[in-house]
Amino acid sequence: MENHATKITFKVNGEQHTLDIDNRFTLLDILRDRLNLTGAKKGCDLGECGACTVILDGKAVNSCQILGVKITSSEIKTIEGLSQGDMLHPLQISFIENDGGQCGYCTPGFIMGAYPLFESKTNVSVEEIRLALAGNLCRCNAYGAIIDSVVGAIGIKVDG
Amino acid sequence: MVDQNIHSSSVGTSFQRTDLKDKVLGIAKYTADLSLPNMLHARVLRSPHPHANILSIDVQPALKMAGVHDILTPFNVGVGKIAPDVPILDTKVRFVGDEVAAIAAVNLYEADTAIDLIKISYDVLPFSTNIDTSLEMGNLKIHAHGNIVNGGPIVEARGNVEEGFGQADYIVEDSFTTPDHHPASLEPRAALASWDGARLTMWKPSRGIHADKAILAAALDVNPNNITVIGPVMGAGYGSKDETRTSILAALLSIRTGRPVKLELNREEEFLAGRRRHSTSTKIKMGVKKDGTVTAVHVKTVMDTGAYLSSGPGVVRRAGQGALYLYRCPNVKYEGQIVYTNTPTAGSYRALGAPQGHFALESLSDQIAEKLNMDPLKFRLMNHVGPEGQPGERTTPKNQIIDTQPVEGGVPFSSNELRQCLILGADAIGWDKRDQIPTPTGPIRRGLGMSMFIYRGGPGGQSNAEMSLDKDGCFTLNVGFMDVGEGSSTVVLQMAADTLGVLPQMISLNSGNTDNTPQSPMTAGSTLTFSAGQAAVRAANQLASVVIEAASEAIGLADTEGLYITPDGVCSMSGDGVKFADLANKSGLLKAAVSVTPGSKDYIVNSFGAHFAEIEVDIETGYVKITKYVAVHDSGRIINPKMAKGQVRGGISQMMGFTFLEDMEIDHSSGVTLNASFLEHKSPTIMEYPEIEVIFADSIDPVGPFGAKSLGETPCIAPAPTIANALYHATGVRLNHLPFTPDSVLTALKRLR
Amino acid sequence: MKTFTFHKPTELEEASKLLKNIGQGHLLAGGTDLVTEMKQGVIEPNLLISASDIKDMSGMVWNNSGLTIGSMVTLDEIASDAGIGSRIKSLAEAAISIATPQIRNIATLGGNLCQRPRCWYYRNVRFNCLKKGGEKCFAVGGSDKYNAILGGSSCYIVHPSDSATALVALKAKVEIFRDLQRVSIPIDDFFVGPEVDVARENILEPGDILISVQIPKESMDGKSVYLKAKERQSMDFAIASVAVMVKMEKGLITEAGIAAGGVAPIPWHLSSVEGKLIGYFVEDIDVKAISSEVFADARILGQNGYKLQLVQTYLERALNLVLR
Repeated sequence: MENHATKITFKVNGEQHTLDIDNRFTLLDILRDRLNLTGAKKGCDLGECGACTVILDGKAVNSCQILGVKITSSEIKTIEGLSQGDMLHPLQISFIENDGGQCGYCTPGFIMGAYPLFESKTNVSVEEIRLALAGNLCRCNAYGAIIDSVVGAIGIKVDG
Repeated sequence: MVDQNIHSSSVGTSFQRTDLKDKVLGIAKYTADLSLPNMLHARVLRSPHPHANILSIDVQPALKMAGVHDILTPFNVGVGKIAPDVPILDTKVRFVGDEVAAIAAVNLYEADTAIDLIKISYDVLPFSTNIDTSLEMGNLKIHAHGNIVNGGPIVEARGNVEEGFGQADYIVEDSFTTPDHHPASLEPRAALASWDGARLTMWKPSRGIHADKAILAAALDVNPNNITVIGPVMGAGYGSKDETRTSILAALLSIRTGRPVKLELNREEEFLAGRRRHSTSTKIKMGVKKDGTVTAVHVKTVMDTGAYLSSGPGVVRRAGQGALYLYRCPNVKYEGQIVYTNTPTAGSYRALGAPQGHFALESLSDQIAEKLNMDPLKFRLMNHVGPEGQPGERTTPKNQIIDTQPVEGGVPFSSNELRQCLILGADAIGWDKRDQIPTPTGPIRRGLGMSMFIYRGGPGGQSNAEMSLDKDGCFTLNVGFMDVGEGSSTVVLQMAADTLGVLPQMISLNSGNTDNTPQSPMTAGSTLTFSAGQAAVRAANQLASVVIEAASEAIGLADTEGLYITPDGVCSMSGDGVKFADLANKSGLLKAAVSVTPGSKDYIVNSFGAHFAEIEVDIETGYVKITKYVAVHDSGRIINPKMAKGQVRGGISQMMGFTFLEDMEIDHSSGVTLNASFLEHKSPTIMEYPEIEVIFADSIDPVGPFGAKSLGETPCIAPAPTIANALYHATGVRLNHLPFTPDSVLTALKRLR
Repeated sequence: MKTFTFHKPTELEEASKLLKNIGQGHLLAGGTDLVTEMKQGVIEPNLLISASDIKDMSGMVWNNSGLTIGSMVTLDEIASDAGIGSRIKSLAEAAISIATPQIRNIATLGGNLCQRPRCWYYRNVRFNCLKKGGEKCFAVGGSDKYNAILGGSSCYIVHPSDSATALVALKAKVEIFRDLQRVSIPIDDFFVGPEVDVARENILEPGDILISVQIPKESMDGKSVYLKAKERQSMDFAIASVAVMVKMEKGLITEAGIAAGGVAPIPWHLSSVEGKLIGYFVEDIDVKAISSEVFADARILGQNGYKLQLVQTYLERALNLVLR
């Protein structure tokens, strides 16, 4: 009964992992401390900033809010899994071209927050972008350039 | 053959931010992303009381835990100081959240469990959560020297305000307050310390690694030669980030345990133990003649610095500069006072006191224009300080550099395109149709407002740069400053490249490690483009001479006549040339090192701007929507337009928090901060972001490198008064107290009815 | 965060037994609120029971009597469901107004209905407030800007759930697993104010599980709207909100449900307003008079008086939206 650790099996960026974790570990803790994937940031650890956003089974989530014990059999995609070798993802290319990041601490979270929208759309309004990214804080307030970056990424997807 | 047809002209183009690729890939390493073998994790025990003396601390039960390695308390840390009023740890606590003890353990869960076992005996003292109580608490002092910093206000004056008010036909006065909001950079403070028995290596987000090194050396009493400070990529600070005990505690724990120690603040701690913007209370009085001429300006500001002084003196001084210098006026006076309270500490936050000062000044300016029955823009066009500066006599000796926050008159500006800003902005917003707004039928009221500002133009402290041609034919620019996320390293690189005549991608910028970079001031006061830029330009110029000299020798010419640098190498008129790699091979390392004192002995270097907003106010809900925002800035020549535009848009959006949303809420019965979170300290999201049109005035500063002046903080100064003036135009209600939340707007509207 | 054991049962019975038998047990749905409370030390459960594999709590079923939504259905699934969007608009609007996209992807309807209050005195471990077993409500005489203007006796929290307000106006029922039985009760009876029990916001006892929510057919296909006032347009709770549902036949109102949120410790059912609508023709209804009269018993603390004007305005606007 008094078992405070759990064995979990899950996939991150296509790679399978089996770990014994302290029940208190969140997905963010696992990514950062166990798998050394530090792209997702601990901006608040309470689900109030979006800096730790990753894709969990196709959906954008705050990884700091997901207890590790819940992720067995899940597939997770992080910012580190977005590029293929030297091939950057269109979102990454567009965030560079449009100067969509300043200090950059929120940038992986914004890109992963925009990822489901990018995947599902070939045409997107500014209002849709705002709604999709309403869970991500940028304290540099680079919101204008971030909107430009998402528009640009979908342009790359459509026009190549 | 050296290709003569490539030219370098990076300045004025939107060269890509140098570190952005690593950031979008998620591989840029911030301090919290680092770890070392055998590393311990630290946590801080914080005071539950706003004001108390610590009588005793029993750490034994906690120390007995297997995973706990060390606990710092005020009784075992020595007498070093981080700032004059901040010991490493103190036996007195001054706000809820003040550091009491620090613990190093094998993991954070152990540290948290151990913290609960530390027993502290407090002698709880009466406390103050606001300025008025602090001033009345005569018998009780937050610091030994009293609750008023330096015992009274700073006073700055030009001319004689009493005489000025005597000449006035109208005198208008009013009071304004601004909230204590928080920069809350997305990266919380963190420090990773490693002591190897002789040397301390400190990784921390830093605005100035060399300054941090000096602070660590003094506080820890360690020879500075035995300290290395490394600044990893920084998740911004907006003027904040240093000044706290974070790095000292990590360092001391590492020294005592002999193991690396990482201390990361959590979000609540960042709000409590970081640094907020000073809340202010301002009384302002202006006198004008019937024709609109300003005869006197008198401002008194009181600021709440919280538990410790931090950069308070700089902040309170800067809050007065608008009053002293924005309007052409022979008689001005500013009095600025700082008061301690038992609340989280205030410190540097983007533009320091300027937003607070301009909120009062530019709100009152509209009130005066109304008194004169004059359009507010016309009033400003009539009275703004011009290129010739203020009336009066220069007091700075001829051979000395003019301060960027002068009081004296009689000194012209190096450049001042404020008038152009006012005219361009008015045109872009459609100011001429301001009074043609249709009569409303529903609850929506539309209004147009504007304001203008003045700010330091970029000269900062002594700046150093080294530049070299390396073995591989590439260049290194070596600097000691930190890019805190604003992009200074990119801009400085562009200037160095153009000066030398090569492409920016051929130069790598080395910074961020005190062991191999020259001394440099902190990234503060919007000084980097100007000051670090000047140093980089001079280093590049010097290196160009060295390279040409070496090339002439390498080619076998008698002199350097006709030699010039292209991105491919050094060329001569006759067609001879030498590629950089060949030159480096033949001549060995070629280098230059310079040290500059930025500024001008003849001119005031200042930046300017004017902001305009069109808004819609729902008078039944108090909700304000910005329908159009125009920002016009005179920052001299713009080195990188895309980054500059981002800086302006970001600064304005950030200050929408100050204007509409953010205020640290203190429970006055306990001193507890109630909203130390991103959920409750409501910083703007992408949903709040208004469309912002950014216009840069046609301006080239004759003193600044490539004609550039400061930009970083300047977007933050005008937003609040611009909105306040638009709100008045829309509703007829003047709001003197920020932020303009729905409840404050509704309450103000109710008063009107 | 204190450590805990973790179980993932597949049956309601097992989950209920575990929760009942082990002291500080909590049911874990999306966890977006629960995990936050654990991290902040507001609660310290020693057992978490995952509801993820309990199939009775998942999925949506449309049938002749209406719509049944499992309590584990996420807020995003509700917000993006085409049927809900067209037939029960107010519920979709309430769901999309909650928190952030990341949270709506995880947070569940059941979790939202059972969410603990956001009162900053309750959320801060430094205050042992009445709700946490302490002596007093610190909001009274403290910083009360976001606290209740209605229904506050001893404790002045506002209920944080947007979906609850919409569901009260939709006259929904909730199904609960209690003592190995399934019981269905009107949603009004699910919430309890501080005068009944200051320690909680609903009737659930240890071992009780909220299985699902039923929205009756009678509440669908009319006009419905959810309006929410917030200081920030994302990541914010209601400072006042109003949910309205009406059905009309040739201008005669046959069915109405009205509730207000963000103003009281429970979703505030405005049944007196319903009485002034049902059986009346639209053109005879004085929306302004109704809105200004219905909150006559509001009690303003120190700084929350603006909420009265807001909730009146939002009620007026919501009624106008569905009636005009």
